[in-house]
Amino acid sequence: MIRYTLTRLGLLVLGLAVASVLIFVSLRVLPGDVAQLIAGTEATPEQVAALRSSLGLEAPLWTQYLDWIGGLIRGDLGTSLITGTSVASELADKARVTVPLAAMSLTVALIVGIPFGVLSALGRRRAGGTALSVGAQALAAVPVVWAGMMLVVVFAVWLGWLPPQGFPRAGWNDPAAAFRALILPALTIGVVEGAMLLRFVRSATLQALGQDYVRTAAAKGLTRTRALLSHGLPNVGLSVITVLGLQIAGIIVGAVVIEQLFTLPGVGRMLVSDVASRDLPKVQGELLALTGFVLLVGFLVDLSHRLIDPRQREAS
Amino acid sequence: MLRRTALATSMLLIGALLLTSCTGSNTTPNPTGEADPNATLTVRLSLEPANLDIRHTSGASLEQALVDNVYQGLVTRNGDDSNAIVSALATAWAVSPDGLTYTFTLRQGVTFHDGSALTADDVVTSLQTAKDDPTIQSSSDLKNVASIASPDASTVVVTLAQPNIDFLFAMTGRAGLIFKSGDTTNFQTAANGTGPFRVESRNAGQSLTLSRYDGYWGDKAGVAEVVLDYIPDQSAATNAAVAGDVDVALEIDPELRGQIEGTNNFTIESGLTTDKGTLAFNNQRAPLNDQRVREALRLAIDHKALIDTLGSGSELYGPIAPLDPGYEDLSGSISYNPDRARELLAQAGAENLNLTLTIPNVYPTTIPTFLVSSFADVGVTLKVDSVDFSAWLQDVYQNHDYDLSFVRHVEARDFGNWANPSYYFGYDNAEVQGLYSQALATTDEQQSSDLLAEAARIVSDEDAADWLFLSTPLTAVGTNVANFPKNSLNVRLPLAGVTVAAE
Repeated sequence: MIRYTLTRLGLLVLGLAVASVLIFVSLRVLPGDVAQLIAGTEATPEQVAALRSSLGLEAPLWTQYLDWIGGLIRGDLGTSLITGTSVASELADKARVTVPLAAMSLTVALIVGIPFGVLSALGRRRAGGTALSVGAQALAAVPVVWAGMMLVVVFAVWLGWLPPQGFPRAGWNDPAAAFRALILPALTIGVVEGAMLLRFVRSATLQALGQDYVRTAAAKGLTRTRALLSHGLPNVGLSVITVLGLQIAGIIVGAVVIEQLFTLPGVGRMLVSDVASRDLPKVQGELLALTGFVLLVGFLVDLSHRLIDPRQREAS
Repeated sequence: MLRRTALATSMLLIGALLLTSCTGSNTTPNPTGEADPNATLTVRLSLEPANLDIRHTSGASLEQALVDNVYQGLVTRNGDDSNAIVSALATAWAVSPDGLTYTFTLRQGVTFHDGSALTADDVVTSLQTAKDDPTIQSSSDLKNVASIASPDASTVVVTLAQPNIDFLFAMTGRAGLIFKSGDTTNFQTAANGTGPFRVESRNAGQSLTLSRYDGYWGDKAGVAEVVLDYIPDQSAATNAAVAGDVDVALEIDPELRGQIEGTNNFTIESGLTTDKGTLAFNNQRAPLNDQRVREALRLAIDHKALIDTLGSGSELYGPIAPLDPGYEDLSGSISYNPDRARELLAQAGAENLNLTLTIPNVYPTTIPTFLVSSFADVGVTLKVDSVDFSAWLQDVYQNHDYDLSFVRHVEARDFGNWANPSYYFGYDNAEVQGLYSQALATTDEQQSSDLLAEAARIVSDEDAADWLFLSTPLTAVGTNVANFPKNSLNVRLPLAGVTVAAE
């Protein structure tokens, strides 16, 4: 187990290193630069050039890359060219919106996906189960933006129960308002992701229902439902963990879009505006942090698989 | 739903009856309650400044938020009075007959937000730094300045090398803002000005909060606090207005105005700007270096129809906006005529043209879509290249690598770009350049304005570009808000006089 963990950790670090190169190179392909943007349409080319060199953008690319990696090793994600603040502190600031949003979305997805997925599988020959399955198929196909707009129209504009956009200026100092501000966005991401999870849980459950051990248990006198609950679900759970890993990535992508729609001051919105302003040192820090997070989730999924499933442990 | 509609209709009817019986024909909603000096005014804006460093960072959003509210110059401009130049930190100014010497009398009792008093030295240093440091925004506005001096504690004298009638106007801009000499404030994240508001806090990606500065030299601000709420998305902004989260919403989407009006809590106002929706032609590149082609493209556009489609804006057929000197109505100069356009293209041997429009992606897709179909109608295939602003700056502005481009030129008095052949328009006409420099050099305002008008007519006659519209954005002003300014709000938003009624 220890060797396995270390190998996976090594892979994690390797993944980050590869990602850092890809992020750095791909951003340099973008046209436009931050110096021109800061200087604006009134500046002469000489003024822009002066600004560019004072921002350190004239240095050769490999020097810039090594500077960045050197900073990373010292735990420094770099400094924004435009706002002059440290990338790490801005990330930490914006994460206070994005992390709770992702956690709430995941909760919604789990609530929608797992119980209803199992129910839909158990009742697949009844009208209710079919309706659930068809409904989930439709929901999973819905673009997050459209779902968000519909929720806003119903709950914010018509009913006036929840704020349509924005985050309280007091932030989490006003916890009730902050929580309320995240409900609609979290529902938007959570319901769509939950519908995908539902379909997955449904098929995993159906598969489990057809397994020999469930039939054996049923033959021993358990009802089909109880047989599934006691013997089938642990196996369903294992594959669900894998899917959840992928869904967390999906939730983060969803958050980038939904923060834009709900004007939430989170990591996603910061990223979009930083790309637009070509604040590349900041963008690469943000992207690497997000990549690191997704890789970490993959790492944890693999580890928990090992811990839960005795078959895999014996195999190593 | 049906019940809601029925209910709403009956409420409207009752409301209308009450209004007619109580107020007669006057249906303009006025603030109902007394102005509340402790109120917070929340204003929705669309474009957020990247930082607070107004000296070094470009972008109209910085001026909109900070000039007149936080930072002040010796003089400023009043958008609601045709951009007239009015006093700010100078109580008076005098111009010598030769137009070379400007003598400003400084206002007494002015303090910075950190409590220190404004001195003549602060003024001299600010202007000298703005002139000498090319990384300061609009530094070139002062390049013609020969000397800046302070003969006594309440006077500052600026001497020009040549007369420049735009100098005083330039002093209302960024180059003329006054900072404390030797200030150690981190201007990217904080501010220290002399205005009626101080920067209270900034929530990047969200809002900027200003609070009333009680040591202000003039009339104290009408509200205790102003929150500039940055909501880029139009439907989110509409939702915020409908939900009552903002008192005023700037630049609302005309298509969504009905929703805001439906609340009966807002009046929709429309003000003038100097914001010219400019369809630039690359005058240096074939086939657009042929005037017949440029004229044909202008003739192919039905400007009225475009403005109707956009839902706001007014027609503009030349490079000067109505708030600027030299404006004249050029609407007779060109009119929609696709037949004539096809003829001209045939004469120029430019049938089956393929052109590319480079447009920043912040603008509504209505504009490129409209142009594509207008040009298709006369046999020109338009490819649309939607890029972000940074890419636009590089490709179009810097490298002049484009056929057609669309951006809104928001700056006031920017006619000089047509007299500058190395600007991205690539328009090079010696007569226009001569008229422009004469217009600057004269000390007579009327004469200067006439010269500019003449130059503008030439630019328009030569079809150097097309002006799709003058932007006249819609502002939703809450019925609880009084004295909200009207014009040029995209570059100036003076909020000191605004009041909010108590609930």
